[in-house]
Amino acid sequence: MNTWFIIAQILGVITICFEFASYQIKDKTRYFLVTGIGSFFWAGMFVAMGLATGMSTQASLIVAATYSTIRNLVFYRIFLKNTPQSKEFGLNFLLAMIVVALVAGGISVVNAPEQVRWLHALGMMAALAFVIGQYLPGVHYVRITVVFYAAVVLLTQTPLNILYGDFRWNIMGIAIEGAKIISVLVFYARYANEPKTPQLMLAKP
Amino acid sequence: MFKIISDAGCDFTVAQATEFGVETVPFYIINENGVQKTSQPNPQDYMDKFTPYLKAGMDILAITISSKLSGSFNSASLAADMLKEDFPDRSILLVDSLSASIGQGLITREMVKMRDAGFSIQETAARANKIVQSTRVYVTVENLESLKRGGRIGPTTAFVGGILGLRPILHVVDGQVVQLDTVRGKKNALRMIGEAMVHTLKDEVQNVHICIGHVESQPDAEAFIAKLESDLQITLDTPLTEVGTAISTHTGPGAMAFAYCKKYTAFDAVALKEAA
Repeated sequence: MNTWFIIAQILGVITICFEFASYQIKDKTRYFLVTGIGSFFWAGMFVAMGLATGMSTQASLIVAATYSTIRNLVFYRIFLKNTPQSKEFGLNFLLAMIVVALVAGGISVVNAPEQVRWLHALGMMAALAFVIGQYLPGVHYVRITVVFYAAVVLLTQTPLNILYGDFRWNIMGIAIEGAKIISVLVFYARYANEPKTPQLMLAKP
Repeated sequence: MFKIISDAGCDFTVAQATEFGVETVPFYIINENGVQKTSQPNPQDYMDKFTPYLKAGMDILAITISSKLSGSFNSASLAADMLKEDFPDRSILLVDSLSASIGQGLITREMVKMRDAGFSIQETAARANKIVQSTRVYVTVENLESLKRGGRIGPTTAFVGGILGLRPILHVVDGQVVQLDTVRGKKNALRMIGEAMVHTLKDEVQNVHICIGHVESQPDAEAFIAKLESDLQITLDTPLTEVGTAISTHTGPGAMAFAYCKKYTAFDAVALKEAA
């Protein structure tokens, strides 16, 4: 077996660990750090896959994963600093990211075969919803949108993609997206029976 | 005998100030191109308020809005220094509330209670400084434009926050206003603050004073109080307060403020003597 393929699988397993862990974290700052590191290994996995199977098939995924890594780590810095200036920068960065995603998604939709354009459009919407969900306050938006996003990615990048008639057996791709969905389910199962604490914590007098 | 004097940051009405025997020093309201701004009282304003009571043989205990939000404390300090030469036998003590609006109002009310209970000016000032440390003020703002004008948020944050219906929750920490959290929707913000107040105060509700304030948002504030009183099984002993211009110019209409502090009776007498 190709060494780069094996390295890609190892990086995929590391990605799964970080992605699973990130959706167990309530604190936004730590979430962005852990998911940012996960995205870094995710990008590494696609690079290794490209070296194993040819870069042309992985280029767009490498770009997407790198974009995700940069976005998560920039958001991490913004939430860590937590100043009006950093938040203003964060929002401008978010808007720029949305524009980039819209342009890239639009091109992808236009270039896709006509019968599956709706699927690409759905993917673009899911990605946008997820990026906005990450930035919105609270623990729920990011988890709801990531499940939607992961489900669409599963549909487009895995054997579930029956519409293409293109049976891509990317087991690691399935596992990573599956890990996100399972992690969200575990998160809600873990905290479902926890004594209710207020979402907002105020200081004692 | 001592006179309690507060700047207008305490948000007392004229009737309340008269009832409590508190003299207030107003802020200056400036209208710049249709936008209201406030300016602190100057030292002369404080001297004009202090002097008649000093001449009448009374000491002065003055409380001001946070020194990190306004120069009012500085003006009062300068006035006190200048008057010391003319009235060497009189005491002029100052309390920096490190707070504003209903937070400062709660501290002032406790000072009034201590004065009426026969505490000396030194005891009252020492306890007031303890109460300052226990005072918490939270504000939720509906109008992001006001925060943008005040430089607290940037134009993009105001624009996107407005579209998404985001409501920042601000709090006063060490005398400065900082953002605690952001919540979607006013209803959600009020629910979260209500739940958090019940969670924080339920075990010591007998030892705290709570006050709710609003800026042109009376129905929401009344509904909030009714729910809070029901959840905590108390009746608030401070009336719903309309937040004054010193704060409302920064928050705009629709804002609500929530404050609580320890009652003066909650502090240990020995510890207070040490602090004095």
